[in-house]
Amino acid sequence: MLSPERRTSMAERRPSFANFAGSHNQIDTMMIPHLAGIEDPLPESTPETVDVLIAGTGLVESVLAAALAWQGSNVLHVDCNDYYGDSSATLTVDQIKLWVNRVNSNSIPSYSNAKLYVSTSIGSDRRYASRDFGIDLSPKILFAKSDLLSILVKSRVHQYLEFQPLSSFHTFENDCFEKLTNTKQDIFTDQNLSLMTKRNLMRFLKFVLNWEQMPDVWGPYRDKSITQFLFDKFKLDKPQVFELVFSIGLCSNIETKVPLALQRIRRYLTSFDVYGPFPVLYSKYGGAGEVSQGFCRSAAVAGATYKLNEKIYSYNPTTQVATFSDGSKVTVTEKVIVSPTQAPEGSQHIPEQKYQVNRMACLVEKDCNEWFTEGESASVVVFPPGSLKSGNKEVVQTLILGAGSDCCPQGTSIWYLSTIEKGSRAEMDLDAALEALEASLLRESSTEITQNDDIVQISDDGRPIINSVRLGQSFKEYMPRESIQHLMKLSYTQFTSTPPFDVVNPALFDNDALNNRANSDRKFIPNASDNGVLYTAMPSSEISYDEVVTAAKVLYEKIVGSDDDFFDVDFEDEENEMQNGPGPVPNNISYENAIDDDDEDADMGMQGDDSAEFVGKMEI
Amino acid sequence: MHGVKRYNHSRELLEQKRQQDKQRIVNYRALTAQTLDARDAQIYTAQSLELTTSLLSTNPEFNTVWNYRRDILEALHPGARPSSEAFPEDELEFTMAQLKRFPKVYWIWNHRVWVLMYFCRDNAAVWRRELAIVDKLLSMDARNYHGWHYRRQVVAQIERIEQRSLDRSELEYVTQVINRNISNYSAWHQRVQLVTRLFQFKELPAEEMHTLLRGEVDYITNALYTDADDQSVWFYIKWFITNDVVKTTLPSDEYAKMLRGLRDNVVLINEDDVEFSGSDNNWCLKMLIVIEGALKDAGVESNAEYSKVAAEYLNKLITADPDRMNRYKHLLGSE
Repeated sequence: MLSPERRTSMAERRPSFANFAGSHNQIDTMMIPHLAGIEDPLPESTPETVDVLIAGTGLVESVLAAALAWQGSNVLHVDCNDYYGDSSATLTVDQIKLWVNRVNSNSIPSYSNAKLYVSTSIGSDRRYASRDFGIDLSPKILFAKSDLLSILVKSRVHQYLEFQPLSSFHTFENDCFEKLTNTKQDIFTDQNLSLMTKRNLMRFLKFVLNWEQMPDVWGPYRDKSITQFLFDKFKLDKPQVFELVFSIGLCSNIETKVPLALQRIRRYLTSFDVYGPFPVLYSKYGGAGEVSQGFCRSAAVAGATYKLNEKIYSYNPTTQVATFSDGSKVTVTEKVIVSPTQAPEGSQHIPEQKYQVNRMACLVEKDCNEWFTEGESASVVVFPPGSLKSGNKEVVQTLILGAGSDCCPQGTSIWYLSTIEKGSRAEMDLDAALEALEASLLRESSTEITQNDDIVQISDDGRPIINSVRLGQSFKEYMPRESIQHLMKLSYTQFTSTPPFDVVNPALFDNDALNNRANSDRKFIPNASDNGVLYTAMPSSEISYDEVVTAAKVLYEKIVGSDDDFFDVDFEDEENEMQNGPGPVPNNISYENAIDDDDEDADMGMQGDDSAEFVGKMEI
Repeated sequence: MHGVKRYNHSRELLEQKRQQDKQRIVNYRALTAQTLDARDAQIYTAQSLELTTSLLSTNPEFNTVWNYRRDILEALHPGARPSSEAFPEDELEFTMAQLKRFPKVYWIWNHRVWVLMYFCRDNAAVWRRELAIVDKLLSMDARNYHGWHYRRQVVAQIERIEQRSLDRSELEYVTQVINRNISNYSAWHQRVQLVTRLFQFKELPAEEMHTLLRGEVDYITNALYTDADDQSVWFYIKWFITNDVVKTTLPSDEYAKMLRGLRDNVVLINEDDVEFSGSDNNWCLKMLIVIEGALKDAGVESNAEYSKVAAEYLNKLITADPDRMNRYKHLLGSE
């Protein structure tokens, strides 16, 4: 093995010969393509000439590699690490240790200030093994209605992955966690909302689904904050506003502008009920790391060459020759794309990264099932501005994964926290959020003791008797739970050139640093090792995968000329339907109606819920 | 541009389909001729049953052939008494398979009912199973009125066999369904049926009926505020305030108070709409006229008062709902 004991790969979990008789499930008979450095050995040598060289196997780079490879480009995709995923990798505890050392010795650009604590319970011959855990450097959730999901389906990369639903979103307000009310059903049945609040909330939900078509409603508030808009125009109260803006919209602070916030709120609502009563999915065995790997596998099938442990040393735009640190060379006829984390020594063109994200990842010795909906193993908890003891100005977003996600063993969970706050304030905010989560968990455990009937009994004359033996036993069981055991605590700062929450709308891309980056590949700085190189953006604070496809498309267009055939793939029996409808039910051209082929009777078959009844308006 | 590529692909596919269809039409016509000939010759055998199976699988709306199929079944299973143990599993499987593909075709539903009535009319377990099947179907598509109608038929059979009313549990069920989504005309309609029956057959003591109706008022007010644009809610409210059940159960002062309370809420909602969007809510205006009429009929308001208020709202409607302008003008004329 290359890296210190790595996690099992998807191909190893799902043997390709699992071909049961009578199986109708395509996945069983499908082979997961092998990837160099995982199931296959690394190549001895690399091609002499390629069209595109990509350094770094992060999310954007991997999607790009697959898109280019399927379009017919000759791609060499390298990574200086001995693992895939780069800034989106999913790592074991031992791998995290090495990573932290490298960050703190300034070997990984765009990261700093890494701190790590690992308990002695993790190690060889200890209770937990390092590779039992899969820790994401860039935790992500996937919206059911999103461009990445469409691409996953179109490219069939989803077959290399396993997704689970996530319907639990909590807002932390007044020291307690509220579950969201965002469907008509929730609103109608909620006993605690006043009638007028229900009306206002429903009115907003209906509006936001179609907000772009109603400029007279939001136009006057175009440059105002979303919170002001919701208070003024829709007369909503703070609890509803905060829930909508921070938990549903996943915005960062109360100043977020109206159009951006509306887009984000709508994203959540339209993702709800696409595949079921949940808006979001997460990837098992490791989030973004698995997704990047999935796209790399796809690219490899399409002919891309993969090599790990390969670091770019320099690129000469005149000769078009790229040199690696092991001395090998390759001629690149089209473009060289590099992630800032893979930048060579002496690089001068890395775009300015003036934004930061502060992250924390904790491995906790508690299963946290009380926070998950039944059948799920993850939840999102949002701490709105001002809700924490530290008086946070920015939101703290947390993602909790349980053992059911297969990222950690039974009885443990992974807590990811992040904020766009800077410096020591960020540390305070993250610690405050961590404390709040722990306090809530402890409260849940402590109620158990009072429900134990064996401890307090009523004697014949009505006096309560305490069974001291039982009480003692309970305390023995109770005491260790008084503190939450951390198995690992990791924190770090990550820098990025993407403004926070500036995603979703591709038009926004034209105005930001990307244009400056594009121009930078034409500037020539003598002695720079990276003239002519195009840099990708580091992951931003965005908890969803939303920026990834847009970023990949922009790069694709720079290389190929247009993004018309971005993932324009047509795998044999692929149907043409995926753009519009919900996932797995294909909208085949109906062969049933033999009489008149213009007669498209939508009522044939159980597909979709087009009731012929003229009842009400759109579903919320 | 890949858009053009796709379109051509689809046109080819359509051409291919046309060719295949030509052959299918020939086959279909042959099958129809063969089946109807057999029917005319009164052939009732397992083979002719097969013929109808093929034909109905392709065209489930061919009622003539359903009738023929029933004749065959009767001939093949003569004298199947309603209490016989013979269980028509094959037939039920066939209809179920058809229903999965065509859940809104009347004839399939009818046939299933016929089969059950013919073979196991008095078998309570069978009807209970049907109820479970309808539960499942309605959980997948709560607005299929065929499903609701079938449910009423099934429940009626269970009630007949077990000699008791299921109205109360049905009311609980329909409340659950409405809670999941208030935009469900069929469910509200079912609610109308149930409330009426509870009253008609005096299934609840007067006090309980009273409490139930008071609860209804809160329920519909909640629905109103949650979605004042949903026509099924409005239709239910209209039924509720004008039907005899409510008028007879509630004492007249309480009835009048309920009407006034509702009127206040509707006015509030309408004003809220005017403030937000600048225009009246047509449903509100229409309901206000209905409420005024109910107050007049209850003797609480004079005819003159009613005419004045109704005219005011009708005039508003003429501007707010120009599509139905002439109807409102007509109503104005007949005031």
